[in-house]
Amino acid sequence: MTDHIETATSTGRTTLTESEAKEVLATHGIDVPDGETVRSPEAATDAARRLGYPVVVKIESPSVQHKSDWGDGAGVVLGVADDDAVADAAREIFETADRQGIDAAVRVESALEVDAGIEVIVGGTRDPSFGPTVLVGLGGVAVEVLQDTSHRLAPVTEEQALEMTHELEASELLDGYRGEPAVDREAIAAAIQTVSEFLVEESEVSEVEINPLLARSEDVLALDALIALAPDDESD
Amino acid sequence: MALDSLFDPDGVAVVGASATEGKIGYEAMQNAIAYDAPIYPVNPSGSGTVFGREFVSSVTEIDGPVDLALSCVPGPVVPDVIEDCGRAGIGAAVIFSGGFAEAGEEGEQLQRRLVEAADDGNVHLLGPNTSGFLRPAEDLHATFATGTEDIRSGNVAIIAQSGGIAFATAFRAENEGRGVSAMVGLGNSANVGFQEAIDFFDTDDQTDSIVLHVEGTNDARGLLETCQSASTPVVAYNVGEQDVGDFAESHTGSLTGDHELYEAGFAQYGVPTVRSVAELYDAGTALADCPRPSGPNVGVVTAQAGPGIAITDRLKADGATLPSLSDETQAVVEEILPGITFSANPVDTGRPMPEFGDVVEAVARDENVDIVLVYELFEEGLGFPTETLEGLPEATGKPIVFATGGARAALEPELEKMTECDIPTYTTPERGADAVGALVNYAKRNPLADAVESEVNTDD
Repeated sequence: MTDHIETATSTGRTTLTESEAKEVLATHGIDVPDGETVRSPEAATDAARRLGYPVVVKIESPSVQHKSDWGDGAGVVLGVADDDAVADAAREIFETADRQGIDAAVRVESALEVDAGIEVIVGGTRDPSFGPTVLVGLGGVAVEVLQDTSHRLAPVTEEQALEMTHELEASELLDGYRGEPAVDREAIAAAIQTVSEFLVEESEVSEVEINPLLARSEDVLALDALIALAPDDESD
Repeated sequence: MALDSLFDPDGVAVVGASATEGKIGYEAMQNAIAYDAPIYPVNPSGSGTVFGREFVSSVTEIDGPVDLALSCVPGPVVPDVIEDCGRAGIGAAVIFSGGFAEAGEEGEQLQRRLVEAADDGNVHLLGPNTSGFLRPAEDLHATFATGTEDIRSGNVAIIAQSGGIAFATAFRAENEGRGVSAMVGLGNSANVGFQEAIDFFDTDDQTDSIVLHVEGTNDARGLLETCQSASTPVVAYNVGEQDVGDFAESHTGSLTGDHELYEAGFAQYGVPTVRSVAELYDAGTALADCPRPSGPNVGVVTAQAGPGIAITDRLKADGATLPSLSDETQAVVEEILPGITFSANPVDTGRPMPEFGDVVEAVARDENVDIVLVYELFEEGLGFPTETLEGLPEATGKPIVFATGGARAALEPELEKMTECDIPTYTTPERGADAVGALVNYAKRNPLADAVESEVNTDD
């Protein structure tokens, strides 16, 4: 599934779209929500019916990295419950993209019960001095305000990946706090290890980010993913 | 070794030597003449002698062996000097002047010219933009800084990116009544960097530990790999905790700062890290003097409760484990001191006493203990239990670290005796704890070596 990376680099793009990134990660064993990428409001409705309600409707475009900030909130619509709402959300995305003159598709995904888990961030960079590196952090407010993260140089062993999750200040949250069920710490560690190996193997990739990775009691799921590519002259 | 011409030269040329007091070329010359090798002042406009040596007009005109040039001339003429060095077969040069890669586009261009000249002539460069290096045991003071003759020889090698931090650490050693096997300021690392310097001092007989100051390097991965492959223990001080990453694309980028990566990388590659110059040198002496620690289990023996509590608190924060002492040890301790205050771990004898050394020995021999930390305030009538402790680190194969307090004049000779027994000493409870913390982290970060070794032996 490196085809996406090859196609993107050969056309001069520096990022994969969300669905490309998810497809790449899925082939490396990281679960992603079911979803389809469509080109019209009608196709969005068909896709939502196949996936089952509720769904999430998002913009998909190489020009848009921060989807929830885009188009005054039109970029990501959560908990969409019926055909009309899906068509409206998709139409809004297409019209806003037209006004901005950018090429855009719409991604329709099964909505997940995000309360039934903890959002974490798993990512990695290719640093010019250190080479491939990985991080894990608690998602949402914890990562942005508290910067509660743990870092390693890649590749990491399973043991090191697990140790990283224990190094988080908020590590206890993963074990189930105040009656919440514990989440699958081993699955988080496996995702860290996968990202670490992916960066070591794919020298064109400069950054990977799964944010959020929804950690649940039995598994983890990549709700959003970013893969950035280094132009040729920088990757050597 | 590749860097013999730099750190072990057969003759030294001081380029830009001067007879005018206060000039860099004068100070460098004054420092250089202490070294037991021919020293040549080089200056085309110099005439007569300086410090009893006759001026030579160029390094190419020197008649005799010379391996090292100390370049005291301004930046723009340095590339020509290095070209001459190459022609004269001089294998190394220290370049004191600045105005190179640290000083914008023009400086970068000058540094490129310099490296080209060095590569063509096969010259190893320390610097530019460095205050030089010291090897006190050889009286080799390749620097323009003054007062360096007071820096004694010791067993810790300082390799610092900043010449200023190099001297700050070396003078700290002097203030502590100790010394250094070498002090190296790398400066801009034009072609001698951390890797080359670490490799050299790893095989140096006088060096028992290497302490690093790291601001940033363009090959951090290579630095870490060199640290890992060194058989001499390495400890590192990375500055820049408050700097944030300058990536913009994602959270991952902005959350991944260099300091985090250095801390994570050093941990992965077996290097304890510290957060100050003082701590850096303390960790260096602990790693240099002590046998290699085999684990993180610390036995604490204290003659005073308060410092013992402070030490225990600090040790735990540093990642140490305080195991229970074996029943056997506890019985021995209680036999020595019936009704002892607290005999588990820490062992608190309540006050200094003649049997204090025997208690330390019992704890050092406990199989649950990998490292011993002793605290005892100095008491004139008793002195320190140096006689009992002498030979104990070697007999047990375990680090024994001694922390104390007392009046300087009374302490100094006593501490010197303790240091001679391979027991490093520190004059506050927390310094002792942090030095042991470095030993603990060294043990934790290099856990496989023994296992690998015994595996190899079994295969034989």
